[in-house]
Amino acid sequence: MGLLAVGTPLEWPEAKKSASHVRSWGIEQLLALWRKAKGKERDALLWGDEVEYLVVSFDDAEREVKLSLRQADILEALASDSELIRQGGGVPDLATGEHKGGRPAPMFHPEFGRFMLEATPGKPWGIGFNDLLDVERDMKLRRKIAKEHMDPSEFPITLTTFPLLGDRKSITPFYPPSGSKLRSQFVPDEIANPHIRFPTLAANIRARRGRKVELNVPVFRDTKTTWPFKDPTVDYHLHKWPEDQDVRNGAAKDNHIYMDAMAFGMGSCCLQITFQAMNIEEGRKMYDQLSPLGPILLALTAATPIYKGFLADTDVRWNQISRAVDDRTPEELGEVPLKHDRWRIPKSRYASNSTYISQDPRLRREYLDPDLVVDEELKARLVDGGMDDRLATHFAHLFIRDPIVIFAEDLQELDLEKSDHFENLQSTNWQHMRFKPPPPGNDTGWRVEVRPMEIQITDFENAAFSVFVVLITRAILSFDLNFYLPIPRTTENMETAHSRDAVLNDQFYFRKDPLPPPQTRVNGLSSTPGSGANTPRSRGPSRPSTPTGPVEDEYELMTINEIINGKADGGFPGLMPLVESYLDSVNVDVETRCELAQYLDLIKGRASGKLWTAAKWIRRYVAEHKEYKHDSVVGDGLVYDLVKAAERITVNEGRDGYAKEMLGECREQA
Amino acid sequence: MKLILSTSNLLDAGSSIRRDPTQKSNAELVSSFRANFAAHSHPSNGYTNGLGNGNKPTPRSSYTAWTHMAEDGRQELEIPKLDFEHSALQEEREQYDITVKLFYLPGAPTENRETQTREAVKLVMKELHMPSIDLLIISFPGIYFDEEEDCPDKISTRGPVEADPESLECQIKTWKTLEALHEERVVKKLGIAEFGHDRLVQFLEKTTVRPSVDQVNLRDCCSVPKKLLLLAKSKGIELLVHNDSSNVLPRGTLRELLGPEHAGAGVLAEPTRTGEKRKSMHGEEVKNGHADGEGLKGEVQPLWVVKYTAVVKNRGVVENKGYFAVAELSG
Repeated sequence: MGLLAVGTPLEWPEAKKSASHVRSWGIEQLLALWRKAKGKERDALLWGDEVEYLVVSFDDAEREVKLSLRQADILEALASDSELIRQGGGVPDLATGEHKGGRPAPMFHPEFGRFMLEATPGKPWGIGFNDLLDVERDMKLRRKIAKEHMDPSEFPITLTTFPLLGDRKSITPFYPPSGSKLRSQFVPDEIANPHIRFPTLAANIRARRGRKVELNVPVFRDTKTTWPFKDPTVDYHLHKWPEDQDVRNGAAKDNHIYMDAMAFGMGSCCLQITFQAMNIEEGRKMYDQLSPLGPILLALTAATPIYKGFLADTDVRWNQISRAVDDRTPEELGEVPLKHDRWRIPKSRYASNSTYISQDPRLRREYLDPDLVVDEELKARLVDGGMDDRLATHFAHLFIRDPIVIFAEDLQELDLEKSDHFENLQSTNWQHMRFKPPPPGNDTGWRVEVRPMEIQITDFENAAFSVFVVLITRAILSFDLNFYLPIPRTTENMETAHSRDAVLNDQFYFRKDPLPPPQTRVNGLSSTPGSGANTPRSRGPSRPSTPTGPVEDEYELMTINEIINGKADGGFPGLMPLVESYLDSVNVDVETRCELAQYLDLIKGRASGKLWTAAKWIRRYVAEHKEYKHDSVVGDGLVYDLVKAAERITVNEGRDGYAKEMLGECREQA
Repeated sequence: MKLILSTSNLLDAGSSIRRDPTQKSNAELVSSFRANFAAHSHPSNGYTNGLGNGNKPTPRSSYTAWTHMAEDGRQELEIPKLDFEHSALQEEREQYDITVKLFYLPGAPTENRETQTREAVKLVMKELHMPSIDLLIISFPGIYFDEEEDCPDKISTRGPVEADPESLECQIKTWKTLEALHEERVVKKLGIAEFGHDRLVQFLEKTTVRPSVDQVNLRDCCSVPKKLLLLAKSKGIELLVHNDSSNVLPRGTLRELLGPEHAGAGVLAEPTRTGEKRKSMHGEEVKNGHADGEGLKGEVQPLWVVKYTAVVKNRGVVENKGYFAVAELSG
């Protein structure tokens, strides 16, 4: 993955000078990749999930829970487990040795937070329905292996965020805050993975921005919350770094929880799925079609109601990560007139995506983002190189950013057999969908990554959401579904998904009719053949391509229940009935179908409100806890109990009758 | 006269979506026949909007314009005219998993099963432009797997029992045709539908080529009897799930599909036994473009229905799915 490449990272003013250099080399590498792989065909569906863990350390005697910063030690233990390596697992970045035969054991990876761990299956999944059932088993195995390589007091937990992160004490081993890289008054530099890439990333984002990152999460106003709420943990009297001035300049907003470091965002755990498409066109189509589903998946998986020991008024992590890596300057943000920078940029590097990229005839110009910023020079280079306008626009949009981490050694010579400069920009654009060209040097195909989902407490839920997304992609391709929505509506939906219990209380823009229109034939012949030449599956003569009528009539506001389970009036069919219709069209054995039914029931229940999101469950847990004073403060003892409860839920998955509100009854059979 | 109804690839029309789990599960078949008839009989309707509900009563051409009577004098009417020109699968044979399910309908005579089975398989192979199929499942009338099942809620959603099961001898006689197709390598694997444990035991004793598949309808009730699970496992029979109704095409449904009324295709005339003149209060004759006396007369008896699906194996994408139905019209 190249993530841990070593070298001499340039500090910000230096890195900035090389930004154009890296971008133009990145574009050349992209063109080389694209030329080589644009004709790649008939790749199988392969897919993978990524699960991220927080490593917590319990002190049961003291009723304390802390974040463990032992990621490096744990990875080292995993990497030197010869049995794991023999089975094909381990830590690829540290890996040694070969494996033979069988399904390879899971793999573990470092993440930004030094308290995090990422695990992936040893090899990608296919569409065999038995594979779908192996996902959960594999996730459980991953957690078991991770746990086995930790101290007995440690546990790999899948909460999106650690509720006490930034309280200046709940980390072990302890380090004081206010280091030179992060300059955070809440967390130490040691919170980040010590590999030079990560502190440099944080430091250069801060330097480019000209101040620390600024995360203000609205606080949940409970009956006894002091109002206006002024975050009592903010220290206004620090004078160690120039950035300590930020809070005196009003960085911490009233009625908000204030945070000031990349770790508060990039330290969140997500559930991400990557699919391999059959060819570039199918990949482009999947990218577009899954994009409007992003906010829906985010609201359905909501699991982030607490920050820095306070109840937040939002349920998901998304905007916090967005702000935690927002490297835009005041000019780019529109706070001051443009003088040195090239343009105003409406979104952070981490944001909902802003492009559609398919050559699908159903894609109307009106769906595109009117505020899209594109580097026209780089786009012209891509178009000169043969790339079509739409795809060139996409990449030239990603390339409006500066590369953040540049290693001096990499600037010597352009290697078109590599993708490092391309990836430098591509993989620091954290949009909710990512379109991934085949990496150089192996047979992997075009891929699409689905990134909006929050990690769930149990492996059961994480498997359920992973499998659901896989099945949705199959339904999209089989039924030729159309979810196109103007991009600004998806951007708005992403905001909507943040509010408390958005899954039940809010409405989201969604396309009214995702089904292909009925075909009209004249004496057995389609009236407009050939319009689908660019769609991945052109089965025979295709349907007409030019819908008319105002775009505004194509979509409406719907609840998530309507989007998932369908409208009672027979209007919108519902994603779940679409998935079930797909399952009705393929051969599935009874055991598999019944296990899949448990997954689908979970998601149906979350959408209808019958089952609770983790966010709702955690809020209720806090509200009913004896130590909670209804003042929005989530104290140490409460957090200890809460994380213990999460551990219990992870282990039992509701079989002990606990957290049934979230998981339903189905797990009792397991 | 023999009537051959077809849907073409119903995935193109979006009519295979299960909108409501409680609705009758032959809704897919009915709506896809209807959609295909409409697509062929409303040539002027054209493409109207992207909203897919454009079932507006535009003038419809006479059925003679879009159906096809066999030219060699056989009394055989294709509804609509069969056209295999654009229906071929896109990739090579080995990329696909092709499943065919043949429903012998209640009330149809059983003597011609061999001809019917071969005809059904041939139609599907012609449609898909493929020399063989992977799995042929047959569904006998009157068999309900859930009779042996411990799931009380289910019976109520099943619908009325419309036929008694036929004798084991009769089923085995039919099975011999499937065995022949297997022998001829036209069909790789054979299957049956809705067989419970006891029925399956008896059946297995009499077969030469064993079924590889028993397809059962779970209707959201995941309680497959242990006995059946064990038997299937020990005999290497895969238990697959389906969601078809047991009688996919009752006579009344077929008459509605083909009849002169608004939602019908206008192939059949009003049933003669009513002895009344068609009512004109809705002015439908005019709208539908039917002159009095147009439309075939007689009693219609559905004989069989075949459902086919072609799935791209390593991608799990359904590329083609559709139905053919054959009925006998007697004067």
